[in-house]
Amino acid sequence: MKRFYLHQKIANGIIEDPDGTEAVDLAAAKRGAILAARQLLANAVLAGVAPLGTAFHITDHTGQLLSTVSFGEALPAGFMVTA
Amino acid sequence: MPQPSQPFVRNLLLSALDAESYAAIAPHLEPIDLPKGTTLIEAGVPFTHAHFFNSGIGSIVISTADSRRVEAGIFGREGLSGFGCLLGVDQGPQTTMVQVAGEGYRVSIDALRNACRQSNSLRETLLRYVHVFISQTSYTALSNVNQSVEGRLTRWLLMCHDRVTGDDIALTHEFLSIMLAVQRPSVTTALHMIEGYGFIKARRGNITIVDRDALIDFADGMYGTPEAEYRRLIGPFG
Repeated sequence: MKRFYLHQKIANGIIEDPDGTEAVDLAAAKRGAILAARQLLANAVLAGVAPLGTAFHITDHTGQLLSTVSFGEALPAGFMVTA
Repeated sequence: MPQPSQPFVRNLLLSALDAESYAAIAPHLEPIDLPKGTTLIEAGVPFTHAHFFNSGIGSIVISTADSRRVEAGIFGREGLSGFGCLLGVDQGPQTTMVQVAGEGYRVSIDALRNACRQSNSLRETLLRYVHVFISQTSYTALSNVNQSVEGRLTRWLLMCHDRVTGDDIALTHEFLSIMLAVQRPSVTTALHMIEGYGFIKARRGNITIVDRDALIDFADGMYGTPEAEYRRLIGPFG
């Protein structure tokens, strides 16, 4: 298990992940980021506000950027928000 | 074994007992350390002891077969673990663990049951606590379906604040996410928002309560009723 950090990109900065989460590999950490993004999006929709964040920067314990997961990628396939 | 003298006992339930009730239980109280992470009661395993906390926080957690967990309730110096034995059962489906280290007293289940047979007022006081605990879990159910993650977290921080000395609560985001059964970034984001309002300060592994009254307002009626029930039925708390 490795520790991955999900730092959340917001409009005017970053919400840092102080603790990180254990995952077997980067692919598992990305799946976790997608689940987390879905929950944040759902929370914002229920509250009737725009979500704070737009993406997760996934880093290791040294701060090295390993991957970025945009909140758009987290939407389920076929999920359409159009006028 | 020397008996703890009631005026020096910091467990609020024990200190609220009348003299006769306290005399029935005091000879059976064994001082015990409660290190963080200790499992006090395992799901499906017969109770051996009840624990009266003087400090620290205990958590009653319920899990699915594939280990998804949520916290069902918390207690600290106002309560005891293992109260199922007062209801005539020998085990339950929940796990009870120490989530913030502390110390207290343990009493064997047999001694506690005997003391309750000996003193009706002891049994009644402890059962009033069970009522308060059920009120807390009822509000947790209400909060889970009605509140945002920020609201649920706020209520939970207030409940922890009632059970620690001072304004610092030593908990990681990972732990909070397990207790609230949400993804960890939801906790981080909720803390960021509540901190942005000026109600708390969040540092690595520590949360400081800055404006308790504002947190109570923000909890929007989901915090306070079980705590008021405790004060109405048992004694000072919070």
